[in-house]
Amino acid sequence: MQDQDYILFETYLLEELSQEDVASFESRLKTDSEFNDAFNSYKALSSFLEHKFENEEATNAFQKNLTNISNTHFNKDKAVTEVKGTGKTFQFYKYAIAACVVVLFGIFTFNQFSNPSYSDFSNYDAVSLTVRGDNDDLLKTAENAFNAKDFASAEAVFKQLIAKDESNAEIKLYSAISNIELNNFASAEALLQDLKNGNSAFKNKATWFLALSKLKQNDNAACIVILKTIPEDAENYKQAQKLIDKLD
Amino acid sequence: MSEKKVHEDQKYIDGLLKNNSFIIQAIYDKFVPKVVNYIKQNSGSSDKAQDVIQETLITIYNQASEKKLQLTCPFDAYFFLLCKRKWLNELKKSSNKEVTINEEVLSKDDEAQELAFETSVFGEKEALFTEMFQKLGTACKDLLTATFKIKSMEDVAKNLGVTYAYARKKKSLCIGKLTELVRESPKFNQINN
Repeated sequence: MQDQDYILFETYLLEELSQEDVASFESRLKTDSEFNDAFNSYKALSSFLEHKFENEEATNAFQKNLTNISNTHFNKDKAVTEVKGTGKTFQFYKYAIAACVVVLFGIFTFNQFSNPSYSDFSNYDAVSLTVRGDNDDLLKTAENAFNAKDFASAEAVFKQLIAKDESNAEIKLYSAISNIELNNFASAEALLQDLKNGNSAFKNKATWFLALSKLKQNDNAACIVILKTIPEDAENYKQAQKLIDKLD
Repeated sequence: MSEKKVHEDQKYIDGLLKNNSFIIQAIYDKFVPKVVNYIKQNSGSSDKAQDVIQETLITIYNQASEKKLQLTCPFDAYFFLLCKRKWLNELKKSSNKEVTINEEVLSKDDEAQELAFETSVFGEKEALFTEMFQKLGTACKDLLTATFKIKSMEDVAKNLGVTYAYARKKKSLCIGKLTELVRESPKFNQINN
């Protein structure tokens, strides 16, 4: 097409051609297909540009609004997926919590078995020391203090009693127990060793508490060695075996 | 087309044209999920679907605005076909292969197919026009922008510091240049065929 043709197209579209020129223009459209095609393209582009620029603001407003709605819609879609994800996470949390409980329980139990503590095994009954005799009052005081777990007071009295009667194995045992409770392991073990090497009725009991003294000091190896010296007929034999199992 | 009965779903077209958020929202709620599913099932993603849908709605908006689009079929079918066609074209572009779209071997008697095809062609032409407009020289771009933004050619001439006659002539020649760019483009023949 020539420049002239495009100028003609424009004039035609602006309806500025004379009636005569319009007639000749339209007849050319019918006969000249090249001319017709070019005109149609020109017209389409003119319309496109007109729309593009005239409606720019409206189009931009529409596109902005559309983008917002679209983003909201698709984020909501994602949010829905995420909620589903959270559902899974929630399931996961439940399992995780359950697992934690199991693990904690396991650790707790394991601890029970692997790290048995002194307090788990130092089960001694309330003492009943009072017998008829001269030292009834002191015994009563010691007994009450011991049973009230006031080991310091009890030990003070036990010391006096031992000083009076060095052969009283029972007092020595409870004195030793008090000392273990007070963490005076040296004093306790001296007394217990003494009893262990002796032949009193408290021999095995003393051995047992000597082991527990080692246990309380976390000296598991020494504890096991001592535990193994407890004979089968001893009162604490079963407990000793149990403790050996747990320490091993 | 004016002889055909306008479908009641024209309300969606009108809603888009009026930038009616309620209608746009309704389109997303009612018709978009189906398209998203289709695209996802055909090597696409949610993000791709979002783009295709948005571009399709803009094309519909533009056609409605520029060509007074009249919907003669349900919006659902029309919209789905448009998005589908657009998505398959993108697949074709990215795979660099000829993807035969069997459904597009047109059963032109189908109202929705025909209308979707028209809109689709409109959209492709628009994209081509935009692309070619960018290829024009700065002088032409500025003049055409001014011409269509400022309606009066006298004002345009004044703004550009040229005579009215020159501005008027220049406008014709610039659109003429654009016409040539478009007609010479291989895409133009593809669209028209």
